[in-house]
Amino acid sequence: MVFVVLRRLGVFATTVVVASVVTFLMLSILPGNAARIALGVQATEADVAAQATAMGLDRPAIVRYLDWFGHVLIGDFGTSTVSRQPIGPEITDALGITVILVLTSVVLALLFAIPFGILTAVRQRKPDGVILSGISQIGVAVPGFLAGMLLVTVFAVTLRWLPAGGWIDPAEDFTGFLEHLILPAIALGSVQGAVLSRYVRSSVLEVMREDFIRTARAKGLGAGRALFWHGLRNAAVPVMTVLGLQIATLLVGAVVIERVFSIPGLGSLLLDKVALRDLPAVQGIVLVLVVFVLLLNFLVDLAFTLIDPRLRSAA
Amino acid sequence: MSESTPTLSVKDLRVGSPFNDLLHGISFDIAAGERVGLIGESGSGKSLTATSVMGLLPETLAATGTIRLNGVDADLLTAGERRLNSLRGNAMAMVFQEPMTALNPLMRVGAQVAEIMTVHRTERGRRPARERAVELLAQVKLPNPAEAALAFPHQLSGGQRQRVMLAMAMANDPQLLLCDEPTTALDVTVQAEVLKLIGNLVTERGTALLLITHDIAVVAEVCQRVLVMHQGNIVEDGPVGRVLTAPQHPYTQKLIAASDLSSVDDRGRLHTMSMPVISTQRVAPSSPRPLQADAAAAPILPPHRAAHQRLEQGGPPVIFNEVAGKPAISVRSLSRQYRRRGGGLFAPAPIVHGLREVSFDVAEGERFGIVGESGSGKSTLMRILCALDQPSGGTVDVLGQSIGGASERQLRDFRSQVQIVFQDPMGSLDPRMRVRDIVAEPLRHIGRAEALARVEAQLAAVGLDADVMHRHPHQFSGGQRQRISIARALITRPRVLVADEAVSALDVSVRAQVLNLLADLVDEYQLTLVFVSHDLGVIRHLCDTVAVISDGRIVECGPTASVYDRPLHPYTRQLVSATPSLDELARRVVN
Repeated sequence: MVFVVLRRLGVFATTVVVASVVTFLMLSILPGNAARIALGVQATEADVAAQATAMGLDRPAIVRYLDWFGHVLIGDFGTSTVSRQPIGPEITDALGITVILVLTSVVLALLFAIPFGILTAVRQRKPDGVILSGISQIGVAVPGFLAGMLLVTVFAVTLRWLPAGGWIDPAEDFTGFLEHLILPAIALGSVQGAVLSRYVRSSVLEVMREDFIRTARAKGLGAGRALFWHGLRNAAVPVMTVLGLQIATLLVGAVVIERVFSIPGLGSLLLDKVALRDLPAVQGIVLVLVVFVLLLNFLVDLAFTLIDPRLRSAA
Repeated sequence: MSESTPTLSVKDLRVGSPFNDLLHGISFDIAAGERVGLIGESGSGKSLTATSVMGLLPETLAATGTIRLNGVDADLLTAGERRLNSLRGNAMAMVFQEPMTALNPLMRVGAQVAEIMTVHRTERGRRPARERAVELLAQVKLPNPAEAALAFPHQLSGGQRQRVMLAMAMANDPQLLLCDEPTTALDVTVQAEVLKLIGNLVTERGTALLLITHDIAVVAEVCQRVLVMHQGNIVEDGPVGRVLTAPQHPYTQKLIAASDLSSVDDRGRLHTMSMPVISTQRVAPSSPRPLQADAAAAPILPPHRAAHQRLEQGGPPVIFNEVAGKPAISVRSLSRQYRRRGGGLFAPAPIVHGLREVSFDVAEGERFGIVGESGSGKSTLMRILCALDQPSGGTVDVLGQSIGGASERQLRDFRSQVQIVFQDPMGSLDPRMRVRDIVAEPLRHIGRAEALARVEAQLAAVGLDADVMHRHPHQFSGGQRQRISIARALITRPRVLVADEAVSALDVSVRAQVLNLLADLVDEYQLTLVFVSHDLGVIRHLCDTVAVISDGRIVECGPTASVYDRPLHPYTRQLVSATPSLDELARRVVN
């Protein structure tokens, strides 16, 4: 078990390094010179060259990469070429907001998908099961930003129950924080929840046909108890796989949702920095997003090992 | 039978869907402590009978009639779900066929055994139930029961899992134990042990037993009485000894004749049952047989007869069945090792020996059987002979070509000369291809029209009509699919045919037909046959020479009759005694 965790940790660390190389290479082969962007179009060639030397851009790529990634590892993302401020604190603040938003929506999606998926599976031949299953099918087809705009129209504009956008720090005003979190989290989580509920449904249906469920029934467990005690944990395995794959989609969704609700998260920050052509900042944010996805996938992998003893060790 | 109330009483049980009837009103009683076998072929309704008793029929099926269990005032067919839950696992228990999938893979086996006691509150609390579970695991003779209780199902072998299932079923001392093909998926020696265990457990505790199987030998081993099912009816009911020696219903007579691989008709063919096949008439050998001409030109060798040899404990490696002249297959010092995945982070992966120092020949035109249990290395050997796997050491020559390390390009000719028939006639045919395309696929460099003509001729040769060409595999029965596999294998006119458990998935009646077909085709096409199987009876019928393989080594090899009648190696003796012939069984039962 310990070895399996260590091995997965090793894989995680390796992918982080590979991701940093890819991020670095992609941004350094993009057209445009960071020094010229920093000085503006008016600058002379000599000024740009001097600026490039000052920024260390004349050094070989491998040296620049090691310098950048080495500093990133200790939390230093460098200095913005636009604001001349350190990038690190900006990213940390925004990351905190995005993490809260994404995790809340994952939890909401699961809270919806698990009972809803099980219900539609158990009632699959009954009219209510068919109708509910149809509703989730529609949910799959609605894009997150549209769900967000509909939610704002209903709950913020018409009913005036909740704010239409913005963000409040939980330390400042916890109730206000929740009020501002609820709509974007639902908007982001609803689509994932609908997709996930389809997978929960098919996974539960599959498990209900398994021989060990029949064994459990033959032991005298009722259909519900057999499903609850023996089925759900087995059904969780394929659902976890999908959840791991969905996390990347969820982050892309967060970029859009943060725009719709004007939330100062990582997505908003990334779009701002791209518009400003602040390359060091963009590079840092992209890396953080990638590492975030990798980290969540690593946690999903660990959860797999906890659920399924067959994965714990080959020996 | 005595006056006392039977443990189980089934009256006029009918099961059907809105579209067709599956059980046509069957009635039988099982007395207390009586051991009853229920035999029949797939689709005869034997499993439906058991699931009806347990009240576990699929929702889409409806049952009428009455099923009464001694001491229960309600009819099981109309009793409520709550009532049935209190009986299932308590007054009646069931063991299923598939030990691989019948246990929850995510739960320790001890907890699964304990659960049946906590559910019915026969043990108070979790801890006493767990302790009792360990005792039960000891009673079903699992080694290290305390440790085994903490194992997950995937850490146990098939036989061990079936013991766990049995421990679970017997936990609450049921009046009635239902076993549905409990040993079908197990190796012969394991099967014999598990059957003995079932017999002992129910006899000790006076449990009534209903044992469902397709295998008459299994019934003879354990049961006193046997019910024979055919197409949803019980056609015969009587003491095992009487039914085995003097079956009365024509169906039973045919079933027993077809099961008996030691009895053949005057043409040396197995007794088959007249079953509706698309075409039962095999086309007379007027179909093109180009090989006949080649064979006639070949020099006539003196008939090869295998020497009967065994491997001595710690003795030198033996070259088995050594052939003078040019053998069709020649294997020398063949070994195959695998690196098992896993181990520690830094520890080297453990090495598993699939085959160790195996040497043997197969003569041209010989019917060579390889018999062994799961994990013995027989499948590895088969894969290497077909160049589907590479040896780690030693040499393999097939038809004069060395296939160890040969590239796919060098093997092109080999592939058409050596063909394979696999075990699973469903899984080995592409479900999206039509039969004509499946059979024609191995053909290269010939026109469409010619290919189709050859497919048609080949299908006729295996007893299938031309109109099957346009259908898909799922539209055929197991036996028909195996005929399609054989047609595909023979269309390239191979010289060597390798069959891997080719009849293991078939019902006895169909098995006899397919074995007859294979025997005919081997003669007709002058094939060298390598037949890999766990079933000694099948090998004994079909093969001239047999090699017994165990733990990656051939332990004994010789003429089939000689190996069966005078086994030299202790493992062979164990194997032969675990699969008695029907005559022997009948003798045992009657005495």
